[in-house]
Amino acid sequence: MRTGKVRSNPIITSEMKIKMRGWRTALGIAAYLGVLMLIGFLYYMAFIQTNMSWNSSVNARQEAGMQIYIALAVVQFALILLITPAQTAGTVSGEREKQTLDLLLATKISSVGIIFGKLISSMSYILLLIITSIPLFSLVFLFGGVTPGDMLQLFIFYMITAFAVGSIGIFYSTLFKRTVMSTVVTYITIFFLGLVSVILGAYMISIQYSGTMPQPSNPTVPFVLYINPAVGLADILVTEPGGFSTLLGLSIGPVGRLDFWIVNSMVMLVVAAMLLIISMYKINPVRRISFKKGKKRK
Amino acid sequence: MLRIVNLVKKYGNFTAVDNLNLELEKGDIYGFVGPNGAGKTTTMRIVATLLEATSGTVLVDGINASENPVRVREKIGYMPDFFGVYDNLKVDEYMDFYGSCYGLSKAERSKRTNELLELVDLRDKKHEYVDTLSRGMKQRLCLARSLIHNPELLILDEPASGMDPRARLEMKGILKTLKDMDKTILISSHILHELAELCTSIGIIERGRLVYSGRLQDIMRRITGKTILEITLLDKTDKAVNLLREQPLVEDIYGEDNTLEVSFNGGEQDMADLLRLLINHGIPVLSFTREEGSLEEVFMEVTRHADR
Repeated sequence: MRTGKVRSNPIITSEMKIKMRGWRTALGIAAYLGVLMLIGFLYYMAFIQTNMSWNSSVNARQEAGMQIYIALAVVQFALILLITPAQTAGTVSGEREKQTLDLLLATKISSVGIIFGKLISSMSYILLLIITSIPLFSLVFLFGGVTPGDMLQLFIFYMITAFAVGSIGIFYSTLFKRTVMSTVVTYITIFFLGLVSVILGAYMISIQYSGTMPQPSNPTVPFVLYINPAVGLADILVTEPGGFSTLLGLSIGPVGRLDFWIVNSMVMLVVAAMLLIISMYKINPVRRISFKKGKKRK
Repeated sequence: MLRIVNLVKKYGNFTAVDNLNLELEKGDIYGFVGPNGAGKTTTMRIVATLLEATSGTVLVDGINASENPVRVREKIGYMPDFFGVYDNLKVDEYMDFYGSCYGLSKAERSKRTNELLELVDLRDKKHEYVDTLSRGMKQRLCLARSLIHNPELLILDEPASGMDPRARLEMKGILKTLKDMDKTILISSHILHELAELCTSIGIIERGRLVYSGRLQDIMRRITGKTILEITLLDKTDKAVNLLREQPLVEDIYGEDNTLEVSFNGGEQDMADLLRLLINHGIPVLSFTREEGSLEEVFMEVTRHADR
């Protein structure tokens, strides 16, 4: 019986089997959670040492809880940005290096099936890391100040970010023959998205405020910031109503009714989809993308 | 089964395959011979839908490879000259994975895996990790993999490369079995005498052009322009040599004891006439055979031309 496209994709089945075999995955998860636990513990110790206790005022406890939450959120975000390229940037180039790509392309599996299989099997590991961190994050609820809704929003954003970064990795792994090259270029791209876009964005904001007299009545968020997931994260973590853009006194332009992080997520999803479509085209040896999987033999 | 019409593949100004035409009937075993870089692998990759042709048509069982690659892949089993294996996959899992890639059901995958591992003599390695197998075993496994979906046409690019003599013999045995199974096979190899034994036809490719194509003996004659006859006599060797020297179609005679190698310029009727002549002159002929052409000789001749 066929049970849906994702479960019947042989690449996902096979790679999950390989990944889950042995201790590497379990050790990876343990190390990941270890880092997050250490950060949470250090912040908790700082909370104790600032002479606060469980008898402190509700506001003080909530403030401490919020600090731990932000620290964990930022560290987890950084870890996702670090780990995802390592998981995805070698998926197709690795097949090429192992000389198994031709064997795969000579079968009936479509280029869409190969790219999605590779993406989902590598993303499943990231997803596993994100999901296993939920109990750790939930400890913040003991302090108050953070709602389950806030955390749901954060975890949705994590998954979208991982998907977008994963797509960049897949894209470069189809573009470059060597995994080392595709990994390096993926990290450079993320660095540009993260840091350079902020510098450019700050410069563009400063232009909006300077040189024009009187000041613009409705300054907007520079477009370059929409591609930066770090700004989206900042928007989620800013507690002021209206989030990050209101804090800076900026409007988010034509999609002004939506939160910045939602627009940011939408931009990332569109870019990721484009990169995946290009990857599917690039990997196809006869340059005809087939979206239909061949019929099952009887 | 396979029809290649005016196939051209260019990389910039370099023409890798130049107007190549080829036709294979069902059950044919066609050997591709040529020096390195002649265009054998490029042609095979185009047929396997792994490379786009610049122009020309490839039809597999009447299906156009560039228009309908997925349907062509169903009919083709491809074994490249260089290939890798997945770490951490066992032999049966490896076969199962490729079976799934061809859309076979679980029961069918299991049945085909058992049959093919039996064929390539790897049944006892079924639960071992692929990367622990020897090179020869990996080659046999790759051949089994290419057969998982029971293809009608097999494209084997140097299937015996890098194998020791024993492994080569085993591979040859498997190919003979496939021949008996009426598979159509397009094979390239540098182990020429094995190719000569196996193939129904040979194609010689040089600088992207198919310069000769047909039965090995015919190619031999077209290249060297002569046939070698091996004649074994009971006695009267001197009389036979003198008689043969008088014949205008006999070019040269080499002798060792009672066996003569005669370089002959005639056709099949002329050969029959020559045998009758020997017998009519009372020469006791024990055997009279046309020597199978040496593919090495043909290969050397062609590559000598190519080097010029």
